[in-house]
Parts: sequence; structure tokens; C-alpha cells
Amino acid sequence: MKKALTLIQLLAFIAVLLVGFSAGADDRKYRRTIENYSMPDVVLVNQNGAKVRFKELMQSKPVIVDFIFGTCTTICPILSVSFANLQQKLGSNSQKVQLVSISIDPENDTPKVLKEYLKRYRSKPGWDFLTGTRSDIDKVMYAFNAYIPNKMSHFPLTLIRSPGDGKWIRIFGLMGSAEFISECQKVGIL
Amino acid sequence: MRIPIRSGQGNYISAAAFCLVVLLLPVWPPTSYGATDKPSPSSEELLKLGERMYREGILPSGEPMNAFVKGDLPVPGTAFTCASCHLRSGLGSIEGGVVTPPTNGPYLFKPFKGYSSPRYVNTPFLPPQLVKYNSQYYQKPHNRPVYTDESLANALRSGIDSAGRVMNDVMPRYLLEDDEMKLLVSYLKSLSSEFSPGVTDTTIRFATIVSDGVSPEERNAMLVPLENYIRNKNQADVHDPRMIRSNQVRSTGARSRLMAAVTMTSLGVANRKLSLSCWELKGAPETWRGQLEEYYRKEPVFAILGGITRGEWQPIHQFCEDNRIPNIFPITDFPVVSQDDWYTLYLSKGYYQEGEGAARFLNGKEDLKDKRIIQFVRDSREGRALSRGFLETWRGFGQKAPETITLKAGMKLTAKSLQRELAQKKPAAIILWDGPEALKTLEMVAVEKNRPSIILVSSTYLGKSMLSLNERVQKFTYLTYPYGISQTPEERAVQLATKEITSSSMGSKVFSMEANTDATIRISLQTQILTIILHSALLDMRGNYYRDNLLDVIGMDMDQDVPLYERLSFGPGQRYASKGCYIVQLAKTGLVKKSGWVIH
Ligand code: HEC
Repeated sequence: MKKALTLIQLLAFIAVLLVGFSAGADDRKYRRTIENYSMPDVVLVNQNGAKVRFKELMQSKPVIVDFIFGTCTTICPILSVSFANLQQKLGSNSQKVQLVSISIDPENDTPKVLKEYLKRYRSKPGWDFLTGTRSDIDKVMYAFNAYIPNKMSHFPLTLIRSPGDGKWIRIFGLMGSAEFISECQKVGIL
Repeated sequence: MRIPIRSGQGNYISAAAFCLVVLLLPVWPPTSYGATDKPSPSSEELLKLGERMYREGILPSGEPMNAFVKGDLPVPGTAFTCASCHLRSGLGSIEGGVVTPPTNGPYLFKPFKGYSSPRYVNTPFLPPQLVKYNSQYYQKPHNRPVYTDESLANALRSGIDSAGRVMNDVMPRYLLEDDEMKLLVSYLKSLSSEFSPGVTDTTIRFATIVSDGVSPEERNAMLVPLENYIRNKNQADVHDPRMIRSNQVRSTGARSRLMAAVTMTSLGVANRKLSLSCWELKGAPETWRGQLEEYYRKEPVFAILGGITRGEWQPIHQFCEDNRIPNIFPITDFPVVSQDDWYTLYLSKGYYQEGEGAARFLNGKEDLKDKRIIQFVRDSREGRALSRGFLETWRGFGQKAPETITLKAGMKLTAKSLQRELAQKKPAAIILWDGPEALKTLEMVAVEKNRPSIILVSSTYLGKSMLSLNERVQKFTYLTYPYGISQTPEERAVQLATKEITSSSMGSKVFSMEANTDATIRISLQTQILTIILHSALLDMRGNYYRDNLLDVIGMDMDQDVPLYERLSFGPGQRYASKGCYIVQLAKTGLVKKSGWVIH
């Protein structure tokens, strides 16, 4: 029953150190730019079926936006784990930051699907997942210069609105949590 | 208890935490299988345990698996699993610039030198042409030697592949005990390791299904396009790239070109003929299961294409689920509506979807809030499916079920009883789930002074008779219409004026209401759609003839503009391709949209 420390575990030990260091040493693998966006005045629907005025939501408090969908593979899980992790860090302050995931598969992503998705990631208040009509979702994608005609050709994007000057930090690519947290700290979210 | 970890402030701290965990693992044994004195589980049960880890992220102990992604992000429990990225068949996926390689036995336990060989076959993911086409965007898969059990365990724990390369940190690092690892590795070895039944070196066998009671016209509307497709494919000189290109039935641009570019490497399809049998079902639906089993015993098929019956699809759905046989786009308005079933891919939820559309529409009407709604339901298969779709959706909104009046088969709603209902209850809206008889009811309502402002009916249940709704009735009659509607010149103008024009909306969409309401035409269009999706799926499988892979590749398909429906969309595990339903009114000019294609 008691197992000895195997060679594999030792290797794993070393490997993890390596990964840790290489990620630390490596320059970021994602692309970061500062942008000005103006938000469309559309009404979307959240995971509770409630109507949400998108423009207002974007102005309320520090906001972080990403584009995902309920049945997406590979990149949405990573983006969502980042959100979940940030909420974990914020603890009881989770509502200090408004996290907004926008569905790029609005036909399948009914409020029910959105709710189940958030539950899987143990979301806390402050993380909303929005769906809506395709044309409204298109408008939102256009506003963030993130339009894709087809969900299967999407790409990882995180948008952070700096509460100070209202500018957006646009991050193309997948961040680790340390990177994400440091981006949040830069704009004073954490 | 599993190891509780919160990620640290930075890579180093959490890496250290991770190391600690790895070190502590040996003294933290979970209460897992084999630890008790129960009889040791059979190899089949062991595989099941591995499968559960792979598909659901649950350890034999019942606890969720623990892992990290991107170096230091702890993955919450079962948020996602191996199957989320590597897909159920284990053949991998490409998304958002991330290539997830296969993780099935035959692939892992062979060296990978995909791109050094000019004429490789059966490399399930990223074909080399695509790499070239998009080289800055996609990472190139790396060559590596064959895995051993040890190096595979190492890869899963520490993210180092069999070549000693540190893998992309999108691939999670899993915290697994030795006995858990053994289960997972055995499962990976067995995963997609032998071609599914129905595939030989020369043939891929398919069947379709027709029950008695289906009219010869409807039968032909399905069988003819299907047989034509099979014949054309078998006659085509698939080694001639021009031939394949001209065979490209897809309309959307970029993907088709890519598909064409990679077709030559899909020798698997080129070297195999397709065969199609027609399984005829006779007698009562309760006896179909036995007949199906008998057909299948005599001739195991890879998948069932389409199929048409009178009535519910349920017996066939269950047969496919139990035998793990894919059934692609059966022609039915009575599918099984389920969230978790895997093997049958439907065009839509049929009547159920129209009921759902009606509920979504009425729920969005502010002026109907807390007003009375009455539902008349014909006691027929159609009526029941419509009503079920309506009620389940309606209750999902937290609304209480409306009063429902059942119309027994053959029973006519008299003017008198209708008057009484209207006078007494003054409903703000009526739902009338009835067939062509509904027309008479609507005429009667037209002259009532207590007439509600909205009466909802199903266009599919009315069938062709919807075309004869007269003007008086048109005013207050709303129809659920689950098909595409041609753009009006105004809509087109708006679309052209904005920059919101994309390759997929280049051409104006044209649909014919007359054709869409004709059951026979609809069946032939539905079968055409089946051949379009099947054709690309056969190529996308890239010679990996595993049934789950067929469903996986369709799940990764782009959204499609097709005849009949406004839009088809796919996604891993999504099983109803057309998701919308317009609410329309009829006018002189044709159909007038009263809602979007999908209502939330
Ligand atoms: C979030 C997505 C994701 C999840 C979840 C995931 N993987 Fe992976 N996996 C990847 C990616 C991406 C790679 C490629 C990494 C690279 O080559 O740099 C990979 C690589 C692998 C490899 C190495 C293949 C090779 O050719 O060297 C194996 C084996 C593997 N995964 C098995 C698994 C198993 C088993 C699970 C579940 C316990 C799992 N993966 C969960 C994304 C994922």
C-alpha cells in the first residue's frame, strides 16, 4: 500500500521545477495591446435568463471580458480556469471585478447551458455568462475587434478594462495565472 | 480527501507547492479500488474506471481528478476532462491555435514522425498543408519516440513527452497515484485501438432504415439522394484531386479550400467503397428492436445514415445507444430529446422545438406577464410533442403551466365550447396544437369578440394547409416555423449597408415556403444535408474509422448554411443541429418574421 518515492515522481519533481522556471524566464507568449473601444447598446441575456444592458455592464466597475461557448474544447477551459482562479483569489471580494464571458455559440448557449457551465467552474457572484441574438453578439464581437463568422475559428482573447482611464488591455493568447494576476494588478484590480 | 491546493503568488511558489504534493503523494493514499478485500474487478470494470477518468474526470474513489494548467492554474475538479480536449475518440482536436494531438493507443505506442514522411496517412490531426497554410498560427506537432507506460505516466504527471520535451502547458499536469495512473494508461491503450465494426480494408458499410407505413414518395425522397451519393462516391476517381474538388458540396469558402487541399492525403476514403443497405422494419414499433438486432447481427454496419419511420424514433435511438452505433440525421419529427445521449445526431428537436420556440416567444412578451394562457392540445403524437416542448421550456422560465385542454382524436372543437372558454376565461393568448383542423377553429375565433390577440399554431402540424390561412385569420395567427426564411430586400439592404457582411452571408439567402411546407421536398432536402455533412466527415476522419471519431469530427464542424434551415451548428456533444424556430405571421407578401431565429 505505501509506495516508495518512485523515479517517476522524482522526474516529475524536476520537471515541474523546469516548467516553473522556463515559464518564468520565457518572455510572454501572449500579445498585449492597449485599445479604445466603444460599446454597442445591445441587450443580452445572462445565465439566469435576466436581460442585461451590455453598455451599462461594461461601465459599472473593473471589467474583464472573454469570448467562449458552452461546448468548446481546449481554449475555453483555459480561459475559464483563469476566471475561476481570479475569483478564488478575490475571495469574498469576488464582486469587486465584473467578469463577463460572452457566448459565441448563442444558438446552443441558452441560459440553462450557461448556468451549468458556470457551475462546473464553481463561479461566484461577479462572473456573468451572456448570450443573445446572433446579430447582437456579432455587434459585441465587432466592438472588440474580435469578429469571427464561425465559432470554430475562434481564438483566445482576454479584455481588461482599466478602471482609471477606461482604456482596454487586449490580450491575445493564453496566460498563466501569475501573468493574469499581474495584468490585473497593473490596472489596480487586485 | 484529495490534496487541497490553492495556487501561490507566482510560478515558483506554486511549482514548489506542486513538488511538495508530488513528494507527499506516496503517503497520501486515497481509498481507491483494490484497497479493500472486495473481489478484484474484471478487466472490463477496470476499463470502465479508466473511461470514467478520461470522460468525466472522476477517480475510482469518486473524487475529481486534480490538475494544473498553464503551469500554475489549478483546475477545479471536473470543469473539464481529457475528452474535452482530446475528444471522446481520443483523436485530438485543433482549436484557437492549439493543436491537441491524439491520445489513443495506436498513436501513442508508435513513434510519431508525421511530417517527415511525405505520404503519411492516418495522421488524424493537422495535415501538413494546413501547417504551411497557417504556420504562424498553429504550433507544429513534434516528432517523438514511442511511449512506454513509464514515459506516458511521466507525460501526464509532469508534461514531458517521450522525447524529453516540455509540452505546451495547455496540457494539464495531473496528480495521479500509481494505481490510478495504471487504470488511465490501460484505458488509453484500448481507446480507438481497432477500427469499429462495419469497416474492412475495402469497404465501409452503412445502413439506412425504413419502416412500413412510409409512403413510396417519402421513401424515395430519402433513399434516392442517399443512394446517389454513395454511387457517385464509389464511381469517382478519388485519386484525381479535381474530381474531389468538384465534389465539394460545401459553400463556405476558406474551409472548403483547406479541405480540398488536404483531400489527397485522405487515402483511407479513397481506397474504400461505401455500401448502403436498407433495413426494412415491419409491424409494431415494439417489435423493431428484435428486427434491428437481427439485421445488425447479420451485417454489422459502421453507422446508420438517415432513416425514416412513422412515429417516434425512440426504439431506434435506444438500439443505437446500446450498440454504440452512430445514426446521422434520421428523418423524424419525433426525436428523443436528451442531454447526454451520444449516438444519434438529429437535424432538430422536431415538434418539440416548435413548442420550445412558442414558449420562448411568449415568455419574452412583456404585455402577457401574468396573463392567462390556454393551451389546446390534440391528443396525437404531434400534439403531445409540441405540448411537451412548450411546457418543459415554459416551466424552465419559472412560469406556471397554463391550463391545458386536450382534444381527443377525432373530436371537433365546437363554436359553442370555444365561445364558453373565451367568455369565461378571457385568455390573453391561446396555443392551438392541432393539425389542419385548426383552420376551422381559427375561423371560428375570428368572429369572436373575446378573441385573444395571439393564437399560436404549429406550421409543421398544419402542413400545406397553412398556405390557405385567410386574411381575417392571418391578423392574429402566429406560427412556429422551424425553417429558413428568405431575406427581404430591406433586410438585405441593411446587411449590405453595414460592414457586417461575411463570407458566409455573401449571397442572399433564399428559401421557399412552398417547398419547406411540403413533407416530401423537405425529406429530400434533409437527405441532401445528410450527404453534405457525411462527405466532409468521411474526409475529416482521415482514415480513423472509429465510430466515436465520426461523431467527434462532425462535432468540430463549422456552422453550415444549408437548404431548409436558417443555420446548422455543431459542437462536441451537441446533438440537434438546427436550433432555431421563427415565430411568423402570414401576409400577402409571404412570411413576416415576428421573432429572431433563436429566441432567448
Ligand atoms: C485543456 C486541454 C487538454 C486536456 C484537458 C488534456 N490534454 Fe492532453 N494534451 C493537450 C495538448 C494541447 C497537448 C499537446 C502538448 C504539446 O505537444 O506541446 C496534449 C498532449 C497530450 C499527450 C502527449 C501526446 C504526444 O503525442 O506526445 C498525452 C498522452 C495526453 N495529452 C493525454 C491526456 C490525458 C490522458 C488527459 C486527461 C487525463 C489529457 N491529455 C487532458 C491538451 C489537453
